[in-house]
Amino acid sequence: MTAADAPAGRQLVYTLAITEGVRQALQEEPLAFMAGEDVAGAGSVFGIYRGLLAEFGPDRVIDTPISESGIIGLAVGAGATGLKPIVDIMFMDFIGECMDEIVNQLAKMRYMFGGKATLPVTVLTMSGAGMNLAAQHSQSLEAWLCHTPGLKVVMPATAYDVKGAIITAAREPNPVFVVMCKGLMALPGDVPEEPYTLPIGKANVIREGDGLTIVAHGRMIHEATKAADILAGEGVSAEVIDPLWLQPLDTDTIINSVAKTHNALVVHEAVRFGGVGAEIAAQIAELAFDSLDAPVGRVAAPFSPVPFSPVLEQTYVPNAERIADEARRILGVG
Amino acid sequence: MARASVFDNQEKRAIVRRTIVGALASGVREFRYMPDTHGITAAAAEEFAGEANFVAVDSVRTASALDTIRAAEALQAEGCGAVVTLGGDGTNRAFALGWPDAPLVPVSTGTNNVFPTMVEATVAGAAAGLVATGQAPLEAVAGQVKAVHVEIEGERDDVALIDAVLAADRFVGSRAIWGGDRLREAVLTRAEPSAVGITSIGGLLAPLTPDEDTALRLSLGPGEGGVSVLAPIAPGLYEPIAVRSHGRIALGEPVHVTGPGVLAFDGERERVLKAGQAATLRVARDGPRVIDVRATLEYAACKGLYRDDEPPDGS
Amino acid sequence: MASSQASEPSAEVLKDLHYRMVRIRHFEEEAGKLMEQGKSPGALHLYIGEEAVASGVMVHLTDNDQITSTHRGHGHLVAKGGDFKKMYAELFGRETGYNKGRGGSMHISNVDAGMLGANGIVAAGPPIAVGAAFSNKYLARIEGRDRMDVAVPFFGDGATNEGAFHEAANMAAIWKLPVVFICENNGYGEFTPQAEHQAISDVADRAAGYGMPGVICDGMDAVAVWEAAGEAIERARTGGGPTLVECKTYRFVDHVGLRGIGLHYRTDEELEEWRARDPIPQHEQRMIEMGVMTAEEIQAVHDAVMADITESIEFAENSPLPDPADLLNDVYTPTAAS
Repeated sequence: MTAADAPAGRQLVYTLAITEGVRQALQEEPLAFMAGEDVAGAGSVFGIYRGLLAEFGPDRVIDTPISESGIIGLAVGAGATGLKPIVDIMFMDFIGECMDEIVNQLAKMRYMFGGKATLPVTVLTMSGAGMNLAAQHSQSLEAWLCHTPGLKVVMPATAYDVKGAIITAAREPNPVFVVMCKGLMALPGDVPEEPYTLPIGKANVIREGDGLTIVAHGRMIHEATKAADILAGEGVSAEVIDPLWLQPLDTDTIINSVAKTHNALVVHEAVRFGGVGAEIAAQIAELAFDSLDAPVGRVAAPFSPVPFSPVLEQTYVPNAERIADEARRILGVG
Repeated sequence: MARASVFDNQEKRAIVRRTIVGALASGVREFRYMPDTHGITAAAAEEFAGEANFVAVDSVRTASALDTIRAAEALQAEGCGAVVTLGGDGTNRAFALGWPDAPLVPVSTGTNNVFPTMVEATVAGAAAGLVATGQAPLEAVAGQVKAVHVEIEGERDDVALIDAVLAADRFVGSRAIWGGDRLREAVLTRAEPSAVGITSIGGLLAPLTPDEDTALRLSLGPGEGGVSVLAPIAPGLYEPIAVRSHGRIALGEPVHVTGPGVLAFDGERERVLKAGQAATLRVARDGPRVIDVRATLEYAACKGLYRDDEPPDGS
Repeated sequence: MASSQASEPSAEVLKDLHYRMVRIRHFEEEAGKLMEQGKSPGALHLYIGEEAVASGVMVHLTDNDQITSTHRGHGHLVAKGGDFKKMYAELFGRETGYNKGRGGSMHISNVDAGMLGANGIVAAGPPIAVGAAFSNKYLARIEGRDRMDVAVPFFGDGATNEGAFHEAANMAAIWKLPVVFICENNGYGEFTPQAEHQAISDVADRAAGYGMPGVICDGMDAVAVWEAAGEAIERARTGGGPTLVECKTYRFVDHVGLRGIGLHYRTDEELEEWRARDPIPQHEQRMIEMGVMTAEEIQAVHDAVMADITESIEFAENSPLPDPADLLNDVYTPTAAS
């Protein structure tokens, strides 16, 4: 099932879709538990896990100490010994605290052990700028994760996708990072009541077009769609693709689109240098060079920490206008 | 096994520092000390380097009792007038192996010690200082304690300050005494009903103070005419202990025991006796001369040793 | 402190402790030679000298109990019943190794027997063991069992300076998880003496900071370790929560390999003093005196272990190497969906 197939009907905001995803994952799997900082009594600082403690009790919804290494270590050890951990790293910025557990333990244990360990671990974390939370609570660090063999990374940017991503991750026998977008917490969308999954490694074609392919992920899919609206008014037909899964990446959908549109623009909120967009651009150059009418363009954050002051933060985060500008430059119009 | 210390190195350094302050107040200007791997005493000494001379004596660093034994020998050779020990029963026992009749202020670093006492280091240092400088005569303020001398066939001698016990164990293992049903023979220098350990068994049957010039022998295990005593043989552990017989023995009177078994001294399993191997236990009043901190400072008050005017009794 | 254990180690336990120690010693000596002869690739961190610790702990554990290990991990796997064939094959990078040649010395593991891997990252084990202990408690609850499986992380004095150790110890204590933290304090973090890398003398002192018992035992005496670990493991099994057990031990060889890299960070006198306390001859002498084993029986144990080793090395050398075409296998668990 994809968003396009979802029966129009019940609407949930992004945060409540997260709650429902975790609730249904815990309902369907008695070996699943959720742990993290203030996820139980407080229902998370973002309110995304409210009610879970009351429903599942303190044996399954667990407040941890402020110990990110310990939390991922808990997931590794519990996952390797038969449970299905769902753990929360409150702000994605905090993965710096637990990168050893993520990179050297969680991601590698199966491979290092010759395939004799299974790590069915779901990590939920909130990314992104836009709330004036400054340099240590606003980052988009998904590239760090995508660079690590052994991890799967999904970055859902709609209410439908976030619930589906959580249930998909919880059913996966591999470590999956569900990178959520705090800037989208109030975003409503159609969300079916029953549990559903997303096809792993399958991109969403959000909007079809034939003049330019815009590949955007996370919160930027909404800016890219707005940019496509602007461009449509100028007679440019842009196709907008959300890879959704950054690891594994749906290269086929992107390449097929570029073969059709002959132009490509990659957009994300993370810093431009070494971002996931660089990988996407490289793959387009490798696999669709003959289709391209112009070099692949990229719109992303500058090489700077996320600034605090609202005026600076607004400058830092890409938006529809900048995406449209870059599209015009690639196309040589305006 | 040993419990982790409740006094970490930071606290030990503070205790050493307070001891030095007390000793300086009593006029001590020459200090000798046992070095330790973490430089606890050295760091405290450094702070007072301008006020007195501090010298570390030779020792070894084996993380075992040997370090303390060697240091005790060296401190005796240096002619120290008084020694402050910081530790538990085991530390003082090791010290007594190196310097049997040392003039000692034993400061306890734990709650479950019989030999050293909980005393504030500042006044412990002051009392040691008064004795070391000759202001308070050792004979007036210290009493020599009894010790159990242990001769083991074919091996080095050993010593216990409170109690020596033969248990039907085979291993030193994690050291702590366990299983009251395996105790066989005990010789006590003191039998204190309020203490924890083997000494309490005697204490609850026939108390014996450190001052009395006799020792107590217990024959343990079930037997004709025996009695069972509910005694706290370890912290948090009351066990019924079967005592076949008990009685006072004279100082110097030998008690012969034979292996197999384990000899435990002052609550810790220390030596393995092989089958047929003999050991002799004998109590004598030739142990450390323990300085009574209260008596020493009362003496100082009486003599006005810390006053800047004439002593009250005019002497 | 009194023990909750009913008795001293039986003759069977004494023989078992000995067997595990002898297996480790010979495995390691031969592994070190193979490395220095250039026959096995990579680097080996050998456990020689510390055998009493792994053996004294492992006698209390079943295959359902988990351990996490260190970069010095062969001894832990041997003591947990590791098969020499699969171990040497792993050191040789063969497909028949425990990890199919994907891990080598520093990641050698046997998940089926609860050995959750040697680990190249210092202090990585304790958080993983806490996770395993969380599973043990969770599964005991839903299966209605009173006694829990226990997770035992092994780590060194140096590891207790890592934040991961602290986070794990704290979590184990607040949740009263069935974990027994075994610190193998061999006096050195690589080449740096303990006094230079931490301001405490006894690692067990750290236990107080987590609200768990901390105990110290002689890590050169298998019976001492057996006693101390046994009490802590039984307490953990029955819901009494974690314990930090510090075993004072010593590494007879260098940080890496048998000959090492020629740094003189330990004196000859110090080495001699500790070698005089070699846990294996000490234990053998004791068993002979107690009449548990004769010298001939002890020699027969050594001979049998050596014969197993010879056969296992031959097996490993003749085992197939991994197929380079399989390089990408096992990065992920295959799923129907992907």
